Amino acid sequence: MVLARATKLHKTYSLGKTKVSVLRGVNLEVHEGEMLAITGASGCGKSTLLHILGALDKPDQGTVSLGGEDLFAAGTWRRDAIRNKDVGFVFQFYHLLPEFNVLENVLMPRMVGTPTLNWLSSSREAKSKATEILETVGLKDRMKHRPKELSGGERQRVAIARAIVNEPRFLLADEPTGNLDAKMGKGIMECLRGLNRNGQTIVLVTHDPHIANQADRQVRLVDGRIEA
Amino acid sequence: MYKLFLTFRYLISKWVAVFSILSVWLCVAMVLIVFSVMDGFLDNIKQHSRGLLGDIIIDNSTLQGFPYYEEFSAYLKDRLPDEIDVVTPVIYSYGILREPESSFTKPVRIVAIDFDSYCAVNNFRESLYYDRYYPDTTSLGLVQKPVAGIDMKGNSILPERLEAAHREYLKNRVEEEVDHTDIAEPNYRSPHGVGGFEQHFGLPGYEGNPLPGIIIGTDVVFSRDRKGVYNRSILDRGAEIVLTILPLTSRGTIAENPIPVAMRNIDDSRTKVYEIDKICVYVDFKLFQEYLSMGALERVDGSFTEPRASQLLVSLKDGKDYNKALPKIEEVWNDFLGTLAGNVTRYEADLLSSVGVDTWETRQQAFIQAVEKEKVLVTILFGIISVVAIVLIGVVFYMIVLQKTRDIGIIKSLGATSAGVAMIFIMYGAIIGVIGGILGILTGTTVVANINEIQAWLASWNPKLQVWSPEVYTFDRIPSVVKPLVLVAVFGMAVLTSTLGALVPALKAAWVWPVKTLRYE
Ligand SMILES: Nc1ncnc2c1ncn2[C@@H]1O[C@H](COP(=O)(O)OP(=O)(O)OP(=O)(O)O)[C@@H](O)[C@H]1O
Ligand SMILES: [Mg+2]
Repeated sequence: MVLARATKLHKTYSLGKTKVSVLRGVNLEVHEGEMLAITGASGCGKSTLLHILGALDKPDQGTVSLGGEDLFAAGTWRRDAIRNKDVGFVFQFYHLLPEFNVLENVLMPRMVGTPTLNWLSSSREAKSKATEILETVGLKDRMKHRPKELSGGERQRVAIARAIVNEPRFLLADEPTGNLDAKMGKGIMECLRGLNRNGQTIVLVTHDPHIANQADRQVRLVDGRIEA
Repeated sequence: MYKLFLTFRYLISKWVAVFSILSVWLCVAMVLIVFSVMDGFLDNIKQHSRGLLGDIIIDNSTLQGFPYYEEFSAYLKDRLPDEIDVVTPVIYSYGILREPESSFTKPVRIVAIDFDSYCAVNNFRESLYYDRYYPDTTSLGLVQKPVAGIDMKGNSILPERLEAAHREYLKNRVEEEVDHTDIAEPNYRSPHGVGGFEQHFGLPGYEGNPLPGIIIGTDVVFSRDRKGVYNRSILDRGAEIVLTILPLTSRGTIAENPIPVAMRNIDDSRTKVYEIDKICVYVDFKLFQEYLSMGALERVDGSFTEPRASQLLVSLKDGKDYNKALPKIEEVWNDFLGTLAGNVTRYEADLLSSVGVDTWETRQQAFIQAVEKEKVLVTILFGIISVVAIVLIGVVFYMIVLQKTRDIGIIKSLGATSAGVAMIFIMYGAIIGVIGGILGILTGTTVVANINEIQAWLASWNPKLQVWSPEVYTFDRIPSVVKPLVLVAVFGMAVLTSTLGALVPALKAAWVWPVKTLRYE
């Protein structure tokens, strides 16, 4: 079953007068339940592609459909909702909110997606869900800590917990181990593989072949296209 | 949900926000204090300036006044018996006040009144000084000078009539209403600590020729010390005073040579409107109508001129609205002119045609408006200050937004809408407005409630800090009222200003495009 399908994606950045054509007709299918690794040279457009797949950015041309729904034909509000419910993002630099503790960071997508009044009734359930997820990533005893009190690997596990708290269909990770030493990176990969074993669809961007080898399938981005 | 959560978290974690709260707080407190004092000032002026007018005023703006005022008074009462309470004539003129002993002179405005009916149309009686402590001893008729003497025990006492009046006062006085700046330590020249009397070492009594009484505006002769107490010992009660007047004919020409009128200082009047109290003296109507050549004078052909008055003051019966009575009285005046038609001389007709009818409020408008204009000016000033506050909050918030750009991107990547992100900062601004507004209102009302004490405290450190000096202002205390409407308006403005200040940064935050901020650390 195809979960997401990108068709003829084009993206060009203009820096002053010079134009950088990053994506030039990318076609890609992501299957339900698979772990897909996108590799390629630095600056070839991997992050750009991932952002478009996750509705964080818009292509100049082409379409992305997620579970049959065209992402860019939908309105802004719908896209915001999809980002909230159907997509989870893990970034290279964790991107946790420094004013909030671990539990609050994990709860954030829940809060964003719940109207104020409903929150009163659903906060208990959301909290136990977040606690449960933090337990699976091994951070139950760190719930009340602020991000700056955690190591890089722990922060990345918090970011993963946050990405999956809304049980998205689609987990996107951009160089999740890029900023970590080998040991911590290994821990993160184990964590992601564990999620994948439980049926989570994951798209992973990396330029580290060792990491890419752990995925079910690899594709390579060269010259703005997916190499066959 | 996240909006409120983030708003509150940023509120307590961002110290710069304290500056926004501080600026709103100070602005609100300042606006409130200044407005309350100005409103109090205005209320006081309105209240006191009405004091010397009736509900309705009928006059022309000439010095020679207008004739047939008596006939009109009777006609008016006859036509509107249910509305009119009292009608009293007044003559205004100018003169020179001279105290023979010290050769003190001053130009004054003469207000010739029928004492009893004048006191019935307005609050004049309440403005009198000796009349309060010696009730019913003030009149404008012929009087001698009261002299204090010594009783068997060696104490200074006044003539029995004044002693009896003072006992009456002591019996009826309400302790809360005693103005302690009016009364000093009793001494020989002031047996009850009230005013100043001539003192002899014998029995109390009266001396000198009976002369007409004159009531002097308190600030015409007396001045206050730092504590706001008038020094009345410089002019005893009953002391002789000469008022030189200039009679005018009905055509406005000078009728005779200036006449010096010897009178006795019987009382002084403090309406608490300095503009009135520094210039007016009050004398008997009938007497001065004659002196000023405004009474009935025999013409060469044996007929008599019509007596004239400068003004009629009308008080309405209780519960009647002067704004509703005004057109009725105007109509009666026009009817009255109709009854006179053909029977008046050309000069009389001129004087009558320029007579107008007004309410006290329109009459005081120029005066009240001056203060009200000041209020507008201050409002504009505060408008400018509010703009400064908006800009300050805007800048503080802009800093916060710039600092938080990455976090805004993160929140958006988690599915927050642009509107939702903007709301975080708009609510942030509104909450700062609410907090600053509440603090400002608390501070402002506390300061206003204790403004006189605060001033006294400041003055105890350094007398130069006594901003509101009783030497300068007629009101002893700094007047102030906190109007609920002003409270609501100031609070609303505070919230609105802070929200507006947060608007531009909020829009900036809404514009944040997540990918740009998330690409790097
Ligand atoms: N906002 C932008 N404006 C201009 N050029 C941009 C912008 N964002 C990205 N680029 C350029 O687009 C190209 C692709 O960037 P992208 O981050 O997608 O590459 P990447 O494959 O993820 O690289 P890396 O492996 O270093 O993360 C790069 O050359 C980059 O400089
Ligand atoms: Mg990248």
